Amino acid sequence: MAGPKSSSNASKRAAATAAATPSKPAPSSSSAPAPASASTVALHTLWAAYLDATPSRLKLVDAFLVFLVLSGVIQFVYCVLVTSFPFNAFLAGFASTVGQFVLTASLRSQVNAKNRALFKDVSPERAFADFVVGSVVLHFFVFNFLG
Amino acid sequence: MLPSLGAIFFSLFGLFAAVPVQARSSTGNSVLVVLQPDLKRDNFTIFFDNLEKRGYDLTLRTPEDDALPIIRDDNPTYSHIILFAPDIKSFSQDVTPQSLVTVLNAGTNLIVALSPTQSPVFTLASEFSLILPPPSTPLISHFPARDSPPSVIPVAVPPKHPLLTPNTPPVWYSGIPFAHGNNPLLVPILHAPAESFASDTDSDAGAEALFDAAERGGEGLWAGSAMGIVTGFQTRDNSARVTWVGGIELFTDAYAHKSLPSGEKSGNEQFARDVAAWTFQENLVLRIDSITHHLLNETVPREHYTINENIVFEAHISRYDSERGWSPYSGLHDLQLEFTMLDPHIRTALLPVTSKLGLYQAAFRIPDRHGVFKFVLDYRRRGWTILKATTTVPVVPPRHDGYPRFLSAAWPYYAGAISTSLGFFVFAALWLAGDDKERKKGKATKTE
Amino acid sequence: MSMSKAYPLPIDISPTTVANTASLVRIVAFLFISGAAIASRLFAVINFESIIHEFDPWFNYRATRVLASEGFYEFWNWFDPTAWYPLGRVVGGTIYPGLMATSGVIYNVLHSLHLPVDIRNICVLLAPCFSALTAWATYMFTKEMKDESAGLLAAAFIGIVPGYISRSVAGSYDNEAIAIFLLMFTFFLWIKAMKQGSALYGTLTGLFYFYMVAAWGGYAFITNMIPLHALALTLMGRFTNRLYVGYSSWYAIGTLASMQVPFVGFQPVRTSEHMGALGVFGLLQIVAFVELVRVHVSSKQFQQLLFVSVIVVGILGTLVIVGLTYKGWIAPWTGRFYSLWDTGYAKKYIPIIASVSEHQPTAWPSFFMDLHFLIFLFPAGVVLCFKELRDEHVFVVIYALVASYFAGVMVRLMLTLTPIVCVSAAVALSSVLDTYIDPVVPDATDGDADAAKKDRSTTPASSASVVELLTDIVTSGSSPSKRTKHARQGIIGLDTRGVVILNALGMLLFFVVHCTWVTSTAYSSPSVVLASHMPDGLHIIDDFREAYYWLRQNTPKDAVVMSWWDYGYQIAGMADRPTLVDNNTWNNTHIATVGKAMSSPEEVAYPILRKHDVDYVLVIFGGLLGYSGDDINKFLWMVRIAQGVWPDEIQEPRYFTPQGDYRVDDQASSTMKNSLMYKMSYYRFPELFGGGQAQDRVRGQVIPNPGPTLDYLDEAFTSENWIVRIYQVKKEDPLGRDLKGANAFDKGKKRKRTRPPVRRRSLA
Repeated sequence: MAGPKSSSNASKRAAATAAATPSKPAPSSSSAPAPASASTVALHTLWAAYLDATPSRLKLVDAFLVFLVLSGVIQFVYCVLVTSFPFNAFLAGFASTVGQFVLTASLRSQVNAKNRALFKDVSPERAFADFVVGSVVLHFFVFNFLG
Repeated sequence: MLPSLGAIFFSLFGLFAAVPVQARSSTGNSVLVVLQPDLKRDNFTIFFDNLEKRGYDLTLRTPEDDALPIIRDDNPTYSHIILFAPDIKSFSQDVTPQSLVTVLNAGTNLIVALSPTQSPVFTLASEFSLILPPPSTPLISHFPARDSPPSVIPVAVPPKHPLLTPNTPPVWYSGIPFAHGNNPLLVPILHAPAESFASDTDSDAGAEALFDAAERGGEGLWAGSAMGIVTGFQTRDNSARVTWVGGIELFTDAYAHKSLPSGEKSGNEQFARDVAAWTFQENLVLRIDSITHHLLNETVPREHYTINENIVFEAHISRYDSERGWSPYSGLHDLQLEFTMLDPHIRTALLPVTSKLGLYQAAFRIPDRHGVFKFVLDYRRRGWTILKATTTVPVVPPRHDGYPRFLSAAWPYYAGAISTSLGFFVFAALWLAGDDKERKKGKATKTE
Repeated sequence: MSMSKAYPLPIDISPTTVANTASLVRIVAFLFISGAAIASRLFAVINFESIIHEFDPWFNYRATRVLASEGFYEFWNWFDPTAWYPLGRVVGGTIYPGLMATSGVIYNVLHSLHLPVDIRNICVLLAPCFSALTAWATYMFTKEMKDESAGLLAAAFIGIVPGYISRSVAGSYDNEAIAIFLLMFTFFLWIKAMKQGSALYGTLTGLFYFYMVAAWGGYAFITNMIPLHALALTLMGRFTNRLYVGYSSWYAIGTLASMQVPFVGFQPVRTSEHMGALGVFGLLQIVAFVELVRVHVSSKQFQQLLFVSVIVVGILGTLVIVGLTYKGWIAPWTGRFYSLWDTGYAKKYIPIIASVSEHQPTAWPSFFMDLHFLIFLFPAGVVLCFKELRDEHVFVVIYALVASYFAGVMVRLMLTLTPIVCVSAAVALSSVLDTYIDPVVPDATDGDADAAKKDRSTTPASSASVVELLTDIVTSGSSPSKRTKHARQGIIGLDTRGVVILNALGMLLFFVVHCTWVTSTAYSSPSVVLASHMPDGLHIIDDFREAYYWLRQNTPKDAVVMSWWDYGYQIAGMADRPTLVDNNTWNNTHIATVGKAMSSPEEVAYPILRKHDVDYVLVIFGGLLGYSGDDINKFLWMVRIAQGVWPDEIQEPRYFTPQGDYRVDDQASSTMKNSLMYKMSYYRFPELFGGGQAQDRVRGQVIPNPGPTLDYLDEAFTSENWIVRIYQVKKEDPLGRDLKGANAFDKGKKRKRTRPPVRRRSLA
C-alpha cells in the first residue's frame, strides 16, 4: 500500500515538520546520548531562532503542514489499527493529505526567499497559482475516488 | 340454433361412420402397416380393429411394394409405422434401416416386431442398444407346466408399470429375448420370465453349456429376467417412440383368445393396446409450453441479471390426454431446475404452483458469479416424454452506481479528506489576506 | 562581427526579422512534417481500403462503437457475454479505455459540429493524426535537450520512422496509436517540471500520466523511468528543491489519478512494479527534509547523525516493502516482468505469452529495418548528451539504456526505443550540421570566395528536405551563443563542409526512401485482407471476411464459435458471434481448454465442445495457398498450453515423429493424425488433387491420400482459398449412440455383434 513506505516517511516527516524546522531535536533526543539539558537548551534556541527568523508566511505554511501531517498520521493509524475496509476511501483520504502536503511543501520551498536563485522561472505569485491549480486537481481526484 | 344443429349433425355423422374423427394420438392418425406376405390382416383383427376404433387410419402394404413409400421428398408420409415383417430379407428401396431412423428422427413412431430370423430389422435393433441373440435362438421356458410347446410362454405382466393397465393378466409370448445395452433412452416394458433362456433347441442337450455360462455370471447368456422381450425407446430430441417386440405372435388373434394355464383369459389384447397407445403417443406425453424468468416482484424477463439478485423461473407444462387433448398439468412433483455455467451452480426443485394449473416455479438467489448462465430443465422418467428446455441469460456484475456509495465505515476518511480541503481553502484565504497585508505593509514602509 | 565567415551572410537584417522568419519557417516545416507523417500512414487505405487491421484493433473498434452508440456510462458498465463464453468479460474493468474515450470524444465533437463522420473512419484515421501530435511532442522534448533545429529533425524522424509507423498506420487502431504521443508528451512535461521546479508542470505531468495510464499498459515504463531519473540525479548529488517539487507533485497527483482507471485499481500501491516510484517518492521526502535541516543546523555531528538516519530509514523502508511482498500484501513481480529479464522464462512458464510473435526477442536486422541510419547516429547522440550531461540529459541517457535493453528482449518494445533513437539521432545530426554549417572560421584567414559561393548555391538548391534548409537558417540565424562557443573548433574549408553536409543529406535522402519503401511494403497490410503478387498482377485474398460474413449470415445469433484465440476479436468484430477465447488472454485455463480440444482426438474433444455449447469450430488453413500463419503452424503452442494444464493427457513429444520432426505427411505420429486440428485442416484436402499428390504448400509435405475422416463434426464452410474452414459440431445422436457408430450406420456398415453385458459378479 501507499502505506508502509510513505507512511514511514510521512510519520518521519511528521516528527520532522511537526516541529516544523525545529524537528531535528526529535531524532537527536531519542537516539543521541547528548545530555538532556543541552538538547533542551538547543531546542529552545532553535525554536527561538525559528520564531525569529522565519517570515510569517512560512509560519503559516508550516502550521498547515503540521495539520496535514497530523491528519495523515491519524488516518494511517486508524487504517492499520481499526479497518482498511473501504480501501479506496482510505487511499483517497490519505493521498489527499500526502498530496496536499507535498504541494504545500513545494510552495514553501518556492516562496522561500533563500531559494530564489533556484526557482528562476517561478515567481512567488506563480508558485501560489501553481499550488492552487495542483490542489484543485488533487481534490477533484480525491473526491472522485472517495466514494 | 344453427351451431347446435350442426354439432348434432356432426356427431351423428361420426356415429354413423363409426370412426371418431379425432385420433387419440398426439402426433397424428395415419398408420402404415408393413405386413409380410405370409401374414394376413385377419391374423391381427383384434389389434388392428382396436386401433381403428381409436381413430387411426391404417394403410397396409407389403415389404416389396413401393407404391406407398414411407418417406417422400424427405418428409415422412405417415405418423406411425407398424413393421410386421420380421422374416423379410429384402425390402423395397424406401424401407432400409437408415430410412427408418430418418423417419424416426422426423417424429414418426414405430412398432417393430422381431423374429429369430436374421433380417434387416434384426440388424437395426442393435442401433437401439438392443443386444440380440444369434439367429434361430428363440426364448424357451419349461415353466410353468402347460400343454403348449416350450417356446410359447405365458409371461407375467408387471402389475405396476407406468404405461400398462394395472393388473393385466399374463400374456402369451413366443419369440426372441434381447439384452439391454447401457442406454438411458430404453424403456423396458416386459421382461422375460426368470426361468427362460434363449436356445436353438428345445431339448436339454445344451444344458451343460448354459449352466457353465451361468456360473460365469451370465456372460454371453440370453437368459433370465434381465432380458427384455418388449422394450420401448424414446429418441433423445423429439421423443419419438419405438417399441421393439421380440415376437409378432403377441399381437395375433390366436394368442389373444388362447387361455392361460390357469384358465383365465390372456392379457394379450389389453397389453397390445397399451403398447400401441404408448408408442403412438396417446399417453405419458408432456410438453413445455413456455419457460420464462424474471426478477422477484417483477413479471417481465430482463435482458440480463445482476449477481445476487433474487429471480424466479417459471415453466408451463401441459399433458396430453387421449380424451381431452392438451391441458395444463400440475402433477409433476420431482422436476428440477439447474442454473448452470459449465457446472451447475444451483440445483433446486421446480414445484407446481397451486394457484395456477400447469405452472411450475422456482425462486432463488443468483450466485455471486458473473457469466452466461443457463437455466436447464431436464426431466427424464421411464415412459414419460423427455422434457428438456434450456435458456441462457447473462449475469453481470453490479453497475458502477450499483454499489453502495457512502459507507459509514469510511467516515474517518471522509472527514480526513474534507478537512484537508477545508484546510486548503482556509490556507489559501489566509495566504491571500496575508498577501494584502504584506503589500500594505510594503506600501507603508515605502511611503514612510 | 569581426570574425571571418566561411561564406557571406546578409548583415542588414534586423534580429527581429530573423527571429520571425525563423519561427515562420519552423511552423511551415512542422506542417510539412505533419503532412508527411499522416500521408505516409495512408498507404494501407490506398492499397486496400479503409478497414480496421489485424486483431486487437477489431476489439478496440467494437468497443468504440459501443461507446459511441451507448454512451460512456453504458460502455463503462459493459459486460460482454459473447466473449469468453460462457464466462463473459467485464469489458469496462479490463481495458484501458483511453483510446476509445479519445475516439468517442472526437466523434461527439464532430457530430455536434454537424459533421456526420462514420465512427469507423475516425478509428482508422486516429493513429495517423496522433502521429502528427507525436512529432510535435518529440519536437518539444528535443528542444529541451538541445534546440529547435534538433527538435525539428527529431520531429521529422519520428514522423516517418518505420519503427513507429509499424504501429500507427491508418487502420491500426490500437492503444499504441495514442500512447506514443502521450509517452513523449509526459516526458516533455516531466523535463519541464524538473527543470523549472514548477508544480504546474508537475500537475500537468500527472494529468498526462493519467491519460497514459488510461490508454496503454505500457504506462509502467513511465512509472519507472521518472523515478529512475530522479534517483539517478539524487545519487549524483544533484538533488534540488526543483526536483522535489516536480517529482512530488507528479507522483502525488499522478498516482491518485491512475487509480481512477478501473483496470489499474489499487495496483499502484499493491504491486512491485509500482513500488520503485513510491520508494523514490519517500526517499525524496527524506532528502528534502535533510536538506532543510542542514540549512538550519551547523553542527557537524548533527549532520552526520542525520545522514546515518536517512540511510537507516532508506534500508528500513526497503525491508518493509520486501517484507510486505513476502507476506503477500504487495503482489510480487508478474511473469510478464520476469520474461523481460529471462527470455526463456515465458516459454517455460507462460507459453501463452511466448506464443505471441511480437513477444519474441528482436532479430538484429529488424533494428536496421525499423530505424535505418538512426541506429548509427543513436549512440553518437547519447554520447553527446553524456558530454553535456545537464539534468535532462541524464534522462535521455537512462532512457536510451533502458529502452535499448527492452527492445532487444521483445520485438514489441521496439516501439518505446524508437522515440529516444529519433531524439538522440536528431541531437547528433543537428550537432554535425551546426558545426559544419556554422559560417564562422576560427582564424581571421580569408574565406575561399568561390568555394563559399559554391557552398551557398549547392546547399539550398540540393534536394534537401525543408528541415535542412531550416536547420541552416535557424542555426545561423538564432544561436549566436552557440556560434561563439563553437568558434574555436570551427571548420575552415568549404570542401570539408561540403563533403560532410552532402553526406548527411545523402543519408537523410536514403532514410526517406527506405522509410517509404518499408512502410508501403511491410507495414501497410491489414492482415485481414491479404495481397498476393501474381504474374498477372495483384490479387486480393479476402478469405477471412468471406468466412466471417458467412458466419454472420448463416448461423443463429447465439451460435458459439470456437477458434484459436488469435481470431477471437475478429470473429466478435466481423461475424458478431460468441467466442470461447480471444486476444484478451486473461484466462489461461480457458485457452488451455480450447488447446486441449484442438489437440485431442475427436471423441475426447466432443464432450468438451458440447460442454461449452460450441456450435462451430473455425480453423485457419494455409496449406493450399501457402499462407504460413495458419493453425497447423501454431498447433504446437496449443499443445504446449494445453499440456501446462493437463500434463497427463496432452504431451508435446507425442505430436512429433519418432525422429523428432514435426510432420503432417504419412510419417506423422498417430496422435498428430488423430488430433482434431489435423483432421479439420486436412479434411477432404487430398480430394482436391484428384489422384495427384496432395501437396501442403506451407509445410512442403504430401498429405496421405485417404485423408482424415470426421465423425463428430460436419464441414460447414470452406473459403475460396481454403484459408478459413468452418465446421459444425453435430448434436448428440438421437438414438444415444456415439457419433462414430452412428456415422458407420449411416454409411451402411454392419455393427459387430456383441453379447449381453455382465450384470453381476460370478459366484466362483
